[in-house]
Amino acid sequence: MATRLDPNLKNELEEFGVKDLEKCYQCGLCTGVCPLSSNDDPFPRKMVRYAQMGLKDKLIASPEPWLCYYCGECSDFCPREANPGETMMALRRYLTAQYDWTGISKRFYTSHVFEIFSVIGFALLIGLGFLLFAGSNPDMQQARLSTFVETHVIEYLDILMAVVLSAFLLSNVYRMIKFQMGDLLQKVPLSMYMSEVKELILHFLTQKRFSECSDKRMWYIHLLIMTSYTLVFLLVVGLLSGIGGRLPAFQTDEVRSFFHIYNLIGYYATFGLLFGTSYAMIGRIRKNRAIYQFSHATDWMFLILLWLTALTGILIHIFRVIGGDGMPAATYIVYTLHLMVAVPMLVLEVPFAKWSHLAYRPVTIVVTNVKKKYENSIKFSTPAASDESQSA
Amino acid sequence: MVVGGGMSGLTAAVEAAEIGAEVYIVEKRPFLGGRVAQVNQYFPKLCPPNCGLEINFQRIKKNPKINFITNSEVEGISGEEGNFNVTVKTHPRYVNDNCTACGKCVEACPTERENDFNFGMDKTSAIYLPHEFSMPMRYVIDGDVCKGTSCNKCVEACPYNAIDLNMEAKNTVFNVGSIVWAAGWNPYDAENISYYGFGQYADVVNNVMMERLAAPNGPTKGKIVRPSDGKEIENIAFIQCAGSRDENHLHCCSSVCCLASLKHATYVREQYPDAKITIYFIDIRARGKFEDFYNKVESEIGLNFIKGKPGEVKLDNENGKLIVHSEDQLTQTVTDEKYDMVVLATGMAPVTRKSKVPANINYDEDGFVASDSGMPGIYAAGCVKHPMDVASCVRDATSAAMKAFQSAVRGQDNG
Repeated sequence: MATRLDPNLKNELEEFGVKDLEKCYQCGLCTGVCPLSSNDDPFPRKMVRYAQMGLKDKLIASPEPWLCYYCGECSDFCPREANPGETMMALRRYLTAQYDWTGISKRFYTSHVFEIFSVIGFALLIGLGFLLFAGSNPDMQQARLSTFVETHVIEYLDILMAVVLSAFLLSNVYRMIKFQMGDLLQKVPLSMYMSEVKELILHFLTQKRFSECSDKRMWYIHLLIMTSYTLVFLLVVGLLSGIGGRLPAFQTDEVRSFFHIYNLIGYYATFGLLFGTSYAMIGRIRKNRAIYQFSHATDWMFLILLWLTALTGILIHIFRVIGGDGMPAATYIVYTLHLMVAVPMLVLEVPFAKWSHLAYRPVTIVVTNVKKKYENSIKFSTPAASDESQSA
Repeated sequence: MVVGGGMSGLTAAVEAAEIGAEVYIVEKRPFLGGRVAQVNQYFPKLCPPNCGLEINFQRIKKNPKINFITNSEVEGISGEEGNFNVTVKTHPRYVNDNCTACGKCVEACPTERENDFNFGMDKTSAIYLPHEFSMPMRYVIDGDVCKGTSCNKCVEACPYNAIDLNMEAKNTVFNVGSIVWAAGWNPYDAENISYYGFGQYADVVNNVMMERLAAPNGPTKGKIVRPSDGKEIENIAFIQCAGSRDENHLHCCSSVCCLASLKHATYVREQYPDAKITIYFIDIRARGKFEDFYNKVESEIGLNFIKGKPGEVKLDNENGKLIVHSEDQLTQTVTDEKYDMVVLATGMAPVTRKSKVPANINYDEDGFVASDSGMPGIYAAGCVKHPMDVASCVRDATSAAMKAFQSAVRGQDNG
């Protein structure tokens, strides 16, 4: 197969945050110190080489950026201060934009104007929706959200959003698999993927690979954010009305006991998200780790939106229950603000930006496993071919 | 005045004296010859360094215009081109001119010290001869470990009255026209490279230690063996650019380490016809005529090259071997190979990285004296300026001698 060089690749990558590409002199120390790099998928040097050489096709087909968790040791020890860790980070942004067929991702990552206006635009749209459709006569004596918006309407919209966003995300995931598998896509039987489902779930839930970094702190922080987010997501999308009343509804006008399971989950999630995002933001201001050295505009946007979502979320709770009757006006306003932050975050980040890594990472692990399995099965079924490859 | 009695300093002194200048050589160590005296063989001809040193020593001995003082350091410089006052502190040697290097004192001495000439790989007694070809050929006492007059055994043993334990440090002021600063280099401290285990594992050595291991007057009498247990070598690795060309360590390329490792490979091959020799490299920098040496070594002795800078050296506790973890860029794999011994090709750190010239002169980011020292009358020569091989040092020192001579004359004319 002919190898195509794209002389503009470097400029394109720089828009996604690739820096200091030309500093690298290909010593390979980064790959040598990387605790995650393996014999089959050595990185990051190889990725830096592809980027330097303009090997766009090879980059797009590479699983390595998703196998890297940015421990930062490569950047710390790099003899050229070429920041290979940041290159991998930026490549994840670039790949996210390549997988996305709508082009939204690319614009979100490469244009500050688009990034800011899309968030603000969405927020205003949600605000407008509340202005037009929210209850005309909310209870101003006692904070009762059901008099402001009907829970089941919000729930329908929740589910609609979940379906649409999943569709976008899954279509992008499929494109990623296609790029990574290349010619093997048609050859590998579906059963081989199915045998890896357990791995998929395991990696999705634990981000086990992340724990292989020498410094495990970032994994803990990530796990805290991830579990907080997932739990509260289940409450908000799955149990908003308690699956038609079969379970206690999350969104209710009752004041639940402090120790109610939903409250406990909510407090944990609030702590997890606020602590995790604040830790990351302070780190990014202080630049105290390799991972925090460089901040792309979208890194800030993501953290700020997540932080605000958690903050407004807990404020709804406080205003709703304070003093028994709560503070009705404040509750309704903060509820609106909460959705004005959370919805744009989900719509933009899940299929098109940072959140998408929740799918790309575990799926990539599965795809690389499947690829290896398939290649091994070929090797063992045709001994002649394996002899050849060994002698080569 | 020439500061430093290594190859650069000796050359500068001889060249300046032979065109009529009065020269003082100030040497910090108790002998002349510097790093070259510690080398087993020069590349690319693989001849021993003693002949080169011997010639210079002869020229110094025969030339009344050259004076040298060992065990001495420059403490202060004042004045200007043509008229410098240089304060030199001479540390006590405790052994005077009567010494004939008979060695009776060593038999009497009860105290041991780490032998810095062999980078601590063996020991000498507190009174010792720096090495067989030491110039001056006189014993010296290590004041840090010697118990002094309370012991006095060497004084009693010496038949020539050569030992004086009451000697004290003294300062002398020299008035000179110009100064050649040829303080030389130290091997870059590989303990700073946390991931290579130098200082932690005995079998990880640097390239100057390798030079001593191969030298007939070294700690193993020239037999290259594992420092930890004295076992023979079956499998040895060289790691290039250990602390060189690195923003976290020395920025520059030391320019000689590639050739040095190739040379070391010839030492190993000579003693072990079947040993596997592996060189981990970023790129082999055998410049100009040295490419012939690279081609010769590569084709004649059988080397295994791995393109990749290793990320870690660790100890295999089961068999005491060292595991080198590195990418192999040609096969695009990550390898864990086992070795008996690992040699780090550490670079040259200028002496001025730590001990600056006591004058207001310019340095680069690694501590090398800048090409324009910024102070008329003070000229750097050799590896204190930038890393170079011995032949380049000789050329550089000759030019520095010329500059210093002109400067002294110019300064005296103006003054």
